[in-house]
Amino acid sequence: MDFFERQEAAKRKTTVLTLYFLLALFFIICGVYLAIVVAWSLSVEKMANPWNPTFFLYVAAGVLTVILIGSLYKVIVLSKGGEKVAEMLGATPVDPNTKDPDERKLLNVVEEMGIASGIPVPRVYALQNEKGINALAAGLTPDSAVVAVTRGCMERLTRDELQGVVAHEFSHILNGDMRLNIRLMGIINGILVIAMIGRAILRGMSSKKSRSSGKKGGGGLPVLLLGLILVVVGYIGVFFGKLIKSGVSRQREFLADAAAVQFTRNPSGLTGALKKIAERKEGSRILDREAEEASHLFFANGLSKAFFRWLSTHPPIEERIRRIDPLFKVPFFREPTLEPGGEDLPTFMAPRQLTPDQIVSHVGNPQAEDLAFARKIMTDLHPLLSEAAHEPFGARALLYALLLDHDQEVRKKQIKTLESHADPAVMRHTLMLLPVVDVLGQGYRLPLVDLAIPALKSLSPNQYEVFRENVRHLVEADKGISLFEYVIQRILVHHLDPFFGERRPSRVKYHLFDQVQIECRELLSILAWHGNRDASAAHGAFLKGMNELAADKTFSILPQEECHLRLLDSALERLSEASPLLKKNILKSSVQCISADRMIRVQEVELIRAVADSLDCPIPPLSPGGAITP
Amino acid sequence: MAALLIVLGIVVIVVVACIVIYNSLITLRNRYKNAYSQIDVQLKRRYDLIPNLVETAKGYLKHERETLEAVIKARNQASAANQKAAASPGEPSAMQGVIGAEAALTGALGRFFALAEQYPDLKANQTMSQLMEELSSTENKVSFARQAYNDAVMAYNISREKFPNLLIAGPFGFQEAVLFEISAPEEREAVKVSF
Repeated sequence: MDFFERQEAAKRKTTVLTLYFLLALFFIICGVYLAIVVAWSLSVEKMANPWNPTFFLYVAAGVLTVILIGSLYKVIVLSKGGEKVAEMLGATPVDPNTKDPDERKLLNVVEEMGIASGIPVPRVYALQNEKGINALAAGLTPDSAVVAVTRGCMERLTRDELQGVVAHEFSHILNGDMRLNIRLMGIINGILVIAMIGRAILRGMSSKKSRSSGKKGGGGLPVLLLGLILVVVGYIGVFFGKLIKSGVSRQREFLADAAAVQFTRNPSGLTGALKKIAERKEGSRILDREAEEASHLFFANGLSKAFFRWLSTHPPIEERIRRIDPLFKVPFFREPTLEPGGEDLPTFMAPRQLTPDQIVSHVGNPQAEDLAFARKIMTDLHPLLSEAAHEPFGARALLYALLLDHDQEVRKKQIKTLESHADPAVMRHTLMLLPVVDVLGQGYRLPLVDLAIPALKSLSPNQYEVFRENVRHLVEADKGISLFEYVIQRILVHHLDPFFGERRPSRVKYHLFDQVQIECRELLSILAWHGNRDASAAHGAFLKGMNELAADKTFSILPQEECHLRLLDSALERLSEASPLLKKNILKSSVQCISADRMIRVQEVELIRAVADSLDCPIPPLSPGGAITP
Repeated sequence: MAALLIVLGIVVIVVVACIVIYNSLITLRNRYKNAYSQIDVQLKRRYDLIPNLVETAKGYLKHERETLEAVIKARNQASAANQKAAASPGEPSAMQGVIGAEAALTGALGRFFALAEQYPDLKANQTMSQLMEELSSTENKVSFARQAYNDAVMAYNISREKFPNLLIAGPFGFQEAVLFEISAPEEREAVKVSF
């Protein structure tokens, strides 16, 4: 199953879950009704006919309201982004400029993986008060994802083991597990609400009891009963909740383990981490109160051992270790080195010819060589650029520098526009970074943007407004801006606007080609005109792309005058709301269009990556991209 | 019966609204606290640069011990004040502490640079000019981070004082947060690092 199929499968799973949920609702309503009837009979009067349909309906209505409100509320809160989940569990953001060596190690590992997978580096959070070894990834989409790691993880795992854990989390991100998990959390919260209310009442009762010992025993009974009922019913709910969660998550944990091993090509990293968890009784325990709700999001079991094996959200650790070790059969496995960058560059790095299928199959499917390449990027990166990317002030300047066109005429206009709008300090910084940015290999530009995104997320909303405006000015400075610079701007906006609330994250609206055929035509026309000087070549490229999407229909390329960049904006906006399988075909057709001249060059691969990014399809960096002179 | 249901419905809505408001206040509060950590990072850099600056200048400013010591003293005080503020960002006494200490440090640095102007050998020293460059860049970053922090504090304070939020803020102990403002007007000019 490739990335696109996995995304579709994840969506289907949600329907099955809803069914379980409804079943649980039914049992809870019956439970509450039964409990009330029993309590009534015991305390007030024996009921002549225990079955009362109207009363049953009232009970049902009451329970449903409570549960629905609890669920809806949580789903809304959690849909605001992965940060909410992390903060709910008490995690705090890790400063990108941290001096703490453990945190630095963690950040480097996450950055490498982000670049290797082709997604913007996720913000990293730390569960500073948790000594157990555990981690989680949360967020609805890969580019709003957040990775949280416990202090125990940072302190007790080696770099390789940490990498195994983070790779596991990344595979959850790329597989679309998170969306499912967050929906689950929302739904189950509703069920848990009842137990929480019951507990609250009992706690209130027990504190009152200790004060008025025996004086008003009779008066407090109904309330006590109510609390008891709610707790019992609530625990029925928790039971079902755990059942639902565990049904989903156990299988996915095995999958994520396997994907992590494939990604890092270092099984001893992941098994090392798992073994460290197994050797201590409280190995992966999370102490925070909210852990129950998010238990299925974690890397390993965060709660005390479940009473029944099949209620546990994670497979047993021994099983997980066993599945990795004997399973691993890769013939070219080399002993893992302790220090990254100490290994020689694999020979694949010679520029290779890529077929469109290879490119599309790489989406959401990072391999060990992508990780090695990401490490190379990180070590090659000029310290000036890396420093700038890691804090908000410099990250802005870095992005401005990246958006300056290579054409001197256009660049002059852009600098002039920027000077009149931007702060002089930022201008100076931009001009200082410019010479280094200019000699940056093509394949390094997008990873740099990925690296800078977390720092840009810590801008205040007002600062982001200003930044956004300046970015817009740079793009509009002259109509002659190159396609690549333009797409960098799109990526920026695509990842940051939803974060700052200026855009809602895209939902899937279109499943058929017919619904998006206009936009596909626009996209392919623009790509065709971009790569080809003369009309016939452009036509050829366009047709090649169109063939991939709709071999039976005939479309003609749009005239060149109509192909301005604004059109690309609106086309990509709409296409980002297509279903995963449709996107796969759109991407394939784009690759066909660009590769019409037989060989796919570095610049073209980067353009594909940029277009794919706008469609929320993460492609790892596919080429070494040329040397940088530091 | 219908009346009871309506009342129940209203109660439920009110409770949910309270929870929503409470959580949004928590979010805004976390945001400004996190924003302070950006300031913290840049200030720490500044505090790290200053001893190097003084060391480099020592050789040239042999007879100006007082000025140099004043800078180091002000730097240490600012560093301590910053640590307090980082532990409880936005809290009035901690913020006043760091604002005051930073102002004192800026003053001491200003006097130091004024003095250094008079020593052409020092001006020519390469390490010196590198450090000055870094200091200047750090100043920019500090002011940028301060801007972000102040934005976050404003958003929190406004939310806290709005109706109906103020009904929740009071009982649940949401205190007003203090902006990181430069205290005296003459210090508003960034330390002139020009040679």
